[in-house]
Amino acid sequence: MDVFTLSLWALRLGFVLLIYVFFFFVARALWRDLRVGVAGAGRPLARLLVVGSPEGRPQAGTSISLDAVNSMGRDVNNSIVLDDSFVSSEHALLTFRGRAWYVEDRGSTNGTWLNGQRIEGLAPLGYGDEVQVGQVRMRLERPRQE
Amino acid sequence: MSGPRLRLQQLRLHLRPRLPTRSATPALPAGALAAPPRVGRSLLSLSVALAVAYTALAGGLAYWQVVQAQALTADPLNPLTLAAARSAPRGTIYDVNGVVLASNVRGPNGERLRQYSYSIAAPVVGYASPIFGTAALERTYDAQLTGLVSLRPGDELLRKFRGQPYDPSDLHLSLDIALQRVAADLLEGQTGAIVAIEPTSGRVLALVSSPTYNPNRVVDPDEGRPYMASLQARDDSPLLDRATQGLYVPGSVFKIVTSIAGLDSGSITPATTYENQPTEYETGYLVDGFRIHDFPRDVQTDHPLDYYEALEVSSNIWFAHAGLDTGGANLQAWAARLGFGARIPFDLPSSPSQVTGGGGALDGFRDRVELANAAYGQAEVLVSPLQMALVAATIADNGTLMRPSLVDSLTSSDGSVTTLSPQTWTQVCSLETAQIIGDAMQQAVEGQFAFAGAAKVPGVPTAGKSGTAEIGPDAAPHSWFIGFAPADAPRIAVAVIVEGGGLGSQRAVPMAGRLMSAYLGVSR
Amino acid sequence: MTLALYRAGIRPRPRWRELRLLLVVGAALVVGWISLESFRSGQIGPGNISLLAVYLGALALIHVAFVVSGRRMDEILFPTAALLAGISLLLMNRLPQDLVVQSVAGTELPLGPLQLVWILLGFTLLAVSAVFVRSDGWLRRYKYTWAAAGIALLLLVFAFGSVVGGARLTLHIGPFAGQPSELLKVILVVFLAGYLAENRALLASSSTRVGTFTFPPLPYLLPMLAMWGLALAIVIVQRDLGAALLYFLVFLALLYVATRRISYVLFGIVLFLVGGALLYVLFTHVQDRIDIWINPFTDPQGAGYQVIRALYAYGRGGILGTGLGAGLPSVGDVPSIPAIHTDFVFAALAEELGMLGALAILGLYLVIAERGFRIAAAATDDFRALLATGLTLVIVVQAAIIAGGNLRVLPLTGVTLPFISYGGSSLLVNGAVIGLLLALSDRGIEHKAPDARSNVVVRAAQRARAVGGRIEEAIS
Repeated sequence: MDVFTLSLWALRLGFVLLIYVFFFFVARALWRDLRVGVAGAGRPLARLLVVGSPEGRPQAGTSISLDAVNSMGRDVNNSIVLDDSFVSSEHALLTFRGRAWYVEDRGSTNGTWLNGQRIEGLAPLGYGDEVQVGQVRMRLERPRQE
Repeated sequence: MSGPRLRLQQLRLHLRPRLPTRSATPALPAGALAAPPRVGRSLLSLSVALAVAYTALAGGLAYWQVVQAQALTADPLNPLTLAAARSAPRGTIYDVNGVVLASNVRGPNGERLRQYSYSIAAPVVGYASPIFGTAALERTYDAQLTGLVSLRPGDELLRKFRGQPYDPSDLHLSLDIALQRVAADLLEGQTGAIVAIEPTSGRVLALVSSPTYNPNRVVDPDEGRPYMASLQARDDSPLLDRATQGLYVPGSVFKIVTSIAGLDSGSITPATTYENQPTEYETGYLVDGFRIHDFPRDVQTDHPLDYYEALEVSSNIWFAHAGLDTGGANLQAWAARLGFGARIPFDLPSSPSQVTGGGGALDGFRDRVELANAAYGQAEVLVSPLQMALVAATIADNGTLMRPSLVDSLTSSDGSVTTLSPQTWTQVCSLETAQIIGDAMQQAVEGQFAFAGAAKVPGVPTAGKSGTAEIGPDAAPHSWFIGFAPADAPRIAVAVIVEGGGLGSQRAVPMAGRLMSAYLGVSR
Repeated sequence: MTLALYRAGIRPRPRWRELRLLLVVGAALVVGWISLESFRSGQIGPGNISLLAVYLGALALIHVAFVVSGRRMDEILFPTAALLAGISLLLMNRLPQDLVVQSVAGTELPLGPLQLVWILLGFTLLAVSAVFVRSDGWLRRYKYTWAAAGIALLLLVFAFGSVVGGARLTLHIGPFAGQPSELLKVILVVFLAGYLAENRALLASSSTRVGTFTFPPLPYLLPMLAMWGLALAIVIVQRDLGAALLYFLVFLALLYVATRRISYVLFGIVLFLVGGALLYVLFTHVQDRIDIWINPFTDPQGAGYQVIRALYAYGRGGILGTGLGAGLPSVGDVPSIPAIHTDFVFAALAEELGMLGALAILGLYLVIAERGFRIAAAATDDFRALLATGLTLVIVVQAAIIAGGNLRVLPLTGVTLPFISYGGSSLLVNGAVIGLLLALSDRGIEHKAPDARSNVVVRAAQRARAVGGRIEEAIS
């Protein structure tokens, strides 16, 4: 059994093996989706990544862990405090209802924006969607893996 | 910063996001029907159905690729062997001294072709043609020659990891091409067959069928088809391997079989005589209305012959008596031990020899007439030359019949050798029986009144029996000889037949003598 | 850069899962390619890798397009399809190249490059439909128009189709030739989804009882009988058993999903068996198929030839396979199994990749099924749910039909193995199917077409809608 044949078989088996690696990644993705769906209390369901904040409160790059119900506004009693001059005191509500996230405007002055569109009432959103409250732009992300 | 962008966004006016509604187009007034079932649960059942279907597919894969894989690869219709023949060299076939009998060459279009060094070996080696398939040893050992099947377990898996997916083996035969040449020259221009066997091992030393064909022309890509057609059109059937598949009336050489059955069953002894036999030489021996005659002779007609004398002068009358005494059941039983009635376990396909057509009331024989005639090799006795060579080899090997074989060993491409050792096939008769018959056969060659004297190898004790097989009133009889030499320590047993060759003593006997002399290195 | 995109209203959305999976796909294909070329040349090396490079470049481009589009689409479907098509590219490069030779823009393209062209076209269609289909209104509203178009297509094939390999499947229009049955399967799903979404409440409620079985009002059973008749007609006129089987199975599955009534499925199976028995008695080509299936060895050199050759290929492949390039198809220039690049592509894969590889390929179709059903389950209304289910099924069931035929689990019927078999129609349509599924997986997609379009588009759309509307009225 020479070197050539050995390497050839390594390549051949490697090819099939990599297809199975593909399955592994698919399975891992499915498993994570499932786990997020049944995530228990105490575990963050998702996080908001601040992608733009001209006034720096909060700073761009900040990651905010989310519970099932998150209120957003300038008032310190909100679960997510956004100290921005265009944000109302009780601005918006971000909620996880069973299987999907929803954002709801609470009658703010400047409105709540989802992917560049102003929302009225309740709007569903998914991971990767961008919510803008005042000047603060935030993206909904999957929770970090610990 | 943010102001202008907000206005910009406000300019691009879009529809308000609508919340999903379940039914897009309500066809009936609400409340008229119960809400339809949710789609999700049906999807689950559908997934299960799909999973079952795909599991069945996986089962199919496993069945064909694991359970049936070996059987499929060994299937004779499988084109893999043909493919292997094109993509990989076939193993070489050598004779006992390492002389190449079959090798590979490149054809005119770059394809691999088989090249055969000796046409005279065609009945043994056969051919491997992309058009006509394979024959003889090329067929029997096709899988080994192409390297698809290895004799060693475990190779099947290992082969995958080799550069060359095939592992062609070389064949080393027991055939001696020099002896084959002698035998072929003896038969030159005649129709017949010669088989020479090493009695102690069953190894076939020479196997000639005449006429034969040129395998190089069969495998020729251009000439193959017309040549094959011309071969098939010929009356003398050159494609037929007469040595293994030709069936002939044996005549007197069959008396050896009768001897084995009679002596070993105790029905006759070497001293057995028949009182009326001298008279019957003149009148013929009347069996149920059928008169049996001896060939005319001018010696030993005056007294009842014992066994040795009867074989020496080849008395049909004596053996007719002996056959009737032995009985059809015994005759068939001992013949079966010698391999009659079934395909001989050999590297080449053979036609089964027979003692009788069967179905008769008398132990398969029609009547006493048939039995009496069969006892000296007429009636419905039909034998192949290979079968008669085995009879001679059995006597030579003291009653033990070795399984005939052509292949001594296989050498795989990595140099490992698989040796096929000789195998005992059956114990046909006792040592004593074999020795009595051996002595009688020696007397039949060397005796004072022997017909088969021409088979004598000078300086070497030789044993044998000639035969002249009557095949009809108008046809010339077949000329037969079986025998072995040296009689005291046999190294070669032969069967020779020349179709329509006339008296055994005149045609087949001297040929056998020359053949055995050549093998034993004795010049005549 | 990012700002400029934002100004233009484009919000890139990273698709890390897709990227990771595509990297695995790329790695697998490169390793596969090297193993193939190494075997061919006798030394370890990638050989001429340009075809694969073009393909991988196209995958990267499509990924970037998806990211830039910012749509919230499924991230697993596309890499799965990409892996299947990549395996196809390897295989088509490895089969005898003169199986198909077609002249494209003055150059003669043999099998491998030709398949690449079709894959690229199919994936372009995939990307375009995934990125730009923002509304399903054009599908949902004009279901009868689609049905009419489908039947017209079928009639065209009946009338003008040319017979290839005993089946009247191929339609020649000018220099183009295509198999409309591939397109028809999508049209059928669109129509069925529309019809069932509208009527499923009625179909699900029982009103007719016969013994222990309950049936819906008879008029609503007519589509089922029509569907059955259509399948029979396809078998009789087109001699296309595979398409008929596919249509009928997809129809039954959709009916079940819509109504969740097993009695329909049983009724459908009874109809199927009756039809099958009828066809078996009346038509020799159906008889032949069944007889070969039960025992191909009765005529090993004739009718059973193809199937038996495939069985030998499985036997040779074993568990690990012979390796890419080392299977029997490489012997000479004659394919060992007739139609090895289309109907028997699965046998070729099973031989060269072995049982492990063939199982993986079956698994990839199951991944598509899982994603498709997930999209259906998450759909916001019935039409989308049924459409996603149907689109998923046409791929997955078709794969099962031809793999089953190859493996003698089912009678052999000639349909393509989606994304792997050679064939333009198949690749284009299946690309569009995956594209639509991706578009459907974006839950943000509009129910109506946005109005702000360029005037030309709006006017064209309005005109099309007017025509469609008239047809709708005429039919319903």
